[in-house]
Amino acid sequence: MAHAADAKKALDSRGYTGSLIRGDNPLKLFEKPVRDRIIESYYWKEQCFGLNAATLLDRAIELTFIGGTYGVSQRPTPFLCLAFKMLQLTPDKEVILFYLQQEEFKYLRALAAFYIRLAWEKDAEVYETLEPYLADSRKLRRRTREGWTLTHVDEFVDDLLIKGRICATTLPKLNPRVMLEDEDKLEPRISALGEELEELDADDDGSEGEVVEVANGHANGNGHPEEDGDNDADMDAD
Amino acid sequence: MADRKGAYGDKANDTSFRKTWDRAEYAEKAANRDHKLKEEGRARYEAAISGKKYYKRASTPEDAKETEARKSRLDVASRVGTTMLVSAGSAIGKRGKGAGFYCEACDLTFKDNRQLVEHENSKQHLYAIGQTGEVRRATLEDVKERLAWLKRKRDEETGREVLDLGTRLEVQKEIDEREREEKRRKRNEKRRKTKDGMGIVKQEVENDGIIC
Repeated sequence: MAHAADAKKALDSRGYTGSLIRGDNPLKLFEKPVRDRIIESYYWKEQCFGLNAATLLDRAIELTFIGGTYGVSQRPTPFLCLAFKMLQLTPDKEVILFYLQQEEFKYLRALAAFYIRLAWEKDAEVYETLEPYLADSRKLRRRTREGWTLTHVDEFVDDLLIKGRICATTLPKLNPRVMLEDEDKLEPRISALGEELEELDADDDGSEGEVVEVANGHANGNGHPEEDGDNDADMDAD
Repeated sequence: MADRKGAYGDKANDTSFRKTWDRAEYAEKAANRDHKLKEEGRARYEAAISGKKYYKRASTPEDAKETEARKSRLDVASRVGTTMLVSAGSAIGKRGKGAGFYCEACDLTFKDNRQLVEHENSKQHLYAIGQTGEVRRATLEDVKERLAWLKRKRDEETGREVLDLGTRLEVQKEIDEREREEKRRKRNEKRRKTKDGMGIVKQEVENDGIIC
């Protein structure tokens, strides 16, 4: 079995034959405008042609920032192009886990986490696999639509589990953790903070009872997606 | 044919365009063709028997290589500001080597590095190079090996960087010296080229050119 060197055949409207994710062409996980931007970008044409799961590592270790699309013309970041390539290649589960578990290259880990969130269909598996990385506090550089921000691996993983839209893609629906705990598919979460969290809670209860707004951990895949800075809202400019 | 001597006794040298009637070679060609026809006939017969349609396919050459990703980026920045002399009639449209980015395998010229890259990804070019356009699927072992190799390469490169401040200063000083020498040489060249070796003399006007 061999990969196609380019994504042209996979995107052909005449029909897709190949592995399916959530019942459809994996490349359809990205929206059409984003897909078009990626395919027309120079990075995709020059660097993402003819990659397989091993040579993708060459490109992934050269990543220096994460992000979706940026700028007025919605240019895709190399991170997004490589994620798209991974969706085209659909590597085996063990390869993805290897990408995620290796310690040396944090952007590769971020890429693997992004892929897992997009491609894996069993919610419990997604939570179980990604939660250990909520302890990884290395810095990540992130390109937003207008500039640069600093973020961390654990913040990124948290965004993946909670937000509805990140890096110019709408994430597929993920059941909230509490729902899975109620259904007994998952154990209640043991935070890495452990006792510190309990102490914090105790302090909070002691204070005046001010109403504090807490973001409830809740993936909004249906209804109103939570928007973050990477949303391409310029779609209506066309 | 035997070497024919012209009327003045000189041999015609450039007769390479004439056909050489080598019987053995042509016999071999005929045998190959017959063989191929027989094969094709048999394939058609088998297809007809099993009710399927026979598709005549160009066979993949035996030495077709699998497509691999680029090893290095297309080097465009080094050509910025350079001048290249190109003969005017050597390129008709895209064929032929003209001004721009040239692809040797297909004898095509492109005006843009982007067009060159798009061409290099195209089927036309891959056939010309002898690649199949399919990429080998990587196994977990391949991936692990590759990561280890990349890690090693990266470590070697960082190991080579000298972090000692003293040596870094010296190396930087040497680089500066060299650049200064280059600049001085170029300036002297330029001055020598102008009239009398005087350089471009700035015209001084009274009152700085302002008409009072």
